[in-house]
Amino acid sequence: MRTDAASSGAIPEDLREPALTVGTVTPGSLDDQVLAFPEIKPPKQWYVGLAITLSALFIGLGFIGYTFVTGIGAWGNNSPVFWAFDIINFVFWVGIGHAGTLISAILFLFRKRWRNAIARFAEAMTIFAVMCAVIFPLIHVGRPWLAYWLFPYPNQRALWTNFRSPLLWDVFAVNTYFSVSLMFWYLGLIPDIASMRDRTTSKLRKVIYTILSLGWRGAARHWQHYEKAYLLLAGLATGLVLSVHSVVSFDFATSVVPGWHMTIFPPYFVAGAIFAGFSMVVIVLVVVRETMQLKNLITDRHLDVMNKVILAMSCIMGYSYMMEGFTAWYSMNEFLHHGFMNIITGTYGWAGWLTIFCNILFPQILWFKKARTSYFWMILVALGVTVGMWFERFVIIVISLHQDFLPSAWRIYKPTMTDFGILLGTFGLFFTMVLLFARVLPVIATTEVKAILPDAQPSHHGDDHHV
Amino acid sequence: MSETSYAVLGIFDTPNALMAAIPKARAANLGTVEAYTPYPIHGIDEALGLRKSPLGGMVLVMGIIGALTAFGFQYWISAVDYPIITGGKPAGSWEAFIPIMFEVTVLFATFTAGLGMLLLLNKLPFFGHPILTSKAIAGITRDRYVLALEAEDEGFDSAAATQALLAAGAVEVEVLPAPDRSPFLTSAFILRTLGGIFVACLVAGVAIYSLTKWFPLLKPMVYMQDQPRLNPQKASTFFKDGHGMQKPVPGTVARGYLPTAVGSQDASATLVNPLPRTPDVFAVGKKVYTTRCEVCHGAIGNGSGSLTSAYGAKAGNLQSQQFRDYPDGKIYWAIVHGKNAMPSHAPYLTERERWAVVHYVRALQRAQNAKDEDLKVAP
Repeated sequence: MRTDAASSGAIPEDLREPALTVGTVTPGSLDDQVLAFPEIKPPKQWYVGLAITLSALFIGLGFIGYTFVTGIGAWGNNSPVFWAFDIINFVFWVGIGHAGTLISAILFLFRKRWRNAIARFAEAMTIFAVMCAVIFPLIHVGRPWLAYWLFPYPNQRALWTNFRSPLLWDVFAVNTYFSVSLMFWYLGLIPDIASMRDRTTSKLRKVIYTILSLGWRGAARHWQHYEKAYLLLAGLATGLVLSVHSVVSFDFATSVVPGWHMTIFPPYFVAGAIFAGFSMVVIVLVVVRETMQLKNLITDRHLDVMNKVILAMSCIMGYSYMMEGFTAWYSMNEFLHHGFMNIITGTYGWAGWLTIFCNILFPQILWFKKARTSYFWMILVALGVTVGMWFERFVIIVISLHQDFLPSAWRIYKPTMTDFGILLGTFGLFFTMVLLFARVLPVIATTEVKAILPDAQPSHHGDDHHV
Repeated sequence: MSETSYAVLGIFDTPNALMAAIPKARAANLGTVEAYTPYPIHGIDEALGLRKSPLGGMVLVMGIIGALTAFGFQYWISAVDYPIITGGKPAGSWEAFIPIMFEVTVLFATFTAGLGMLLLLNKLPFFGHPILTSKAIAGITRDRYVLALEAEDEGFDSAAATQALLAAGAVEVEVLPAPDRSPFLTSAFILRTLGGIFVACLVAGVAIYSLTKWFPLLKPMVYMQDQPRLNPQKASTFFKDGHGMQKPVPGTVARGYLPTAVGSQDASATLVNPLPRTPDVFAVGKKVYTTRCEVCHGAIGNGSGSLTSAYGAKAGNLQSQQFRDYPDGKIYWAIVHGKNAMPSHAPYLTERERWAVVHYVRALQRAQNAKDEDLKVAP
């Protein structure tokens, strides 16, 4: 929320950051535009969308129930591919969440003021994505009502968890990630909910908003601590966003399976997570800015910058893929070599090439400004990346597992209907949550955007101590 | 003013006007100067003369505590309470603890930053603040900047404060009366709320307890226990006799119970004690002898144990020439099969224990009939 002295006359016109909003936006008009959504009846399209996402959600719930009744055998995984859709989807969804934390934390520390308009939505998507992600390890344990055994707590069996297992690190990492994201998101929401509280005319809403806003009153003494807390949270979440997917990658990297046992995995996973997350944010943002008429706040420049991030991440992914090939060749390890050749020529070679095309080759179109600002191309790229990143995890997990050291154990993995049904269900859950969020809470952090509007900050307050 | 007022609010349209008014309001020295704004304003902390937020230090301390907690917890579990060798690493190898130490550090620090800011520093949630009932609050959370002169004591002069704020450039002034009723969060309210939470917890606890008792017994949950198998002592149609549990084939020998003294006592005379004469073996023999034999045969084996008089029969005097001439195998046979009134001790003595007793009996015999050369001290 701190800004540099953008309005000071010392900066020449052509060096100034371009405007973060389009047209005349005042704090009052911002409230009227953004905070009005929860007060009006949603349009018909919203209900149609909700019906679709809820159907998907219930299909998923049905298949999860089927899994509980029949057991994990309802899925396609079997020796030697013990990890399949469940872990693919877990890694996929946790990755989607990373964009939100990156936007809200890392870009905050970098003073990228354009993040303010999209941070709220991205953070919300983080929370929803992590909710989708945790479903998979929970149902994969087979008896999810005993999932609390994952935590180290004193029990009558006198057993403790194994702190040398990356799977336990995962439990801590994902739980910490979820609680920190939730805390970050809620703190940002408090002043906005206070605004909603003071503009609503409905008695019931007033009570709900009063409780949710905790009696926030915008006092300078409160803002002082609030800003400090926000800065600290951003710093802490920055470490977290880099650590969570690193820990997820340890699940693979600390094992001895050829194709998993590589030091490049943590940074490679983090880059992939941000890549997939930004694509999902682009998809949802385009829909949101069109249907909710937010073009003046989520500007073409936002999408342009987001697509640049996607392009940069795509290049990092390209480097990682090449590094994988290089490692396989340079190590002179025949198992590693075989694993890599499997990616490009094996039974699942199509998945390998699909990954390379969707993640590396096709996003290069974003070098062109026209593609970065065209809905058609950016959505196509973003959908491609979403599919590509899902298949990347498929490649990593299934291809590495289905042919490892022991040829007599090799087997072709085939997912079942239940696998696909549960995956569909999590997409249903994610978009149901997105739709509900867009309906009941401010989709744009109005308080943060107010702080970066022109003339929002005093023009001469002595020194520039905060920059 | 006859009635007391809590504060006077001066409303400004721009942050510049607000910032310009702050020094003037502070100079008037009429009460606590507080600003209410829709978003944080640069430099307002210094203008109001606020102290630096102590949150950073709190978060640092709690972060360190989090790291130490995580390390201590993991070390105690992995190296002290439940040491299990994983991957050939020493039980206390700390490298593997780093990821969780990091996560717990972040967790502690985050909750300190968030909750410390809300609960400790900002004293939120608080719904009873008078400003929340003012007309100005709708502007404060929207697009107005409010400078408040808040009463510090009974002598607050609202008229003077109004004048001061108008002079400082406020476009509008609102006098905020002191709250006429006790604030929303009274102690009675808190007590009632706590009571309600307690009852809710109780109900939820009972409900969850009964659910956890009942839920795991439902059909899909017990599939792992509901396997087709034969439990001991259950009937079965599989076998002709209808018993699920079949008797072992005649002549079956349990593991570790291979019989060695199957013939007569005389036939067993050739058996050789397989155990060496070591302090360990004698310790076992002594323990078994004192537990099983001493009550009849007596502490030194002379047949005068404490039970003999009550039993009506005299136990064998192991010190007699007859038994001193016995080969080891015959003593062993007697232990396994019993002799005369002596019952068999085989069921509860292992092979090793039986032979250890034989050694011990030999030691007793030799101790009572020691020769001179036995007294020689070993070099």
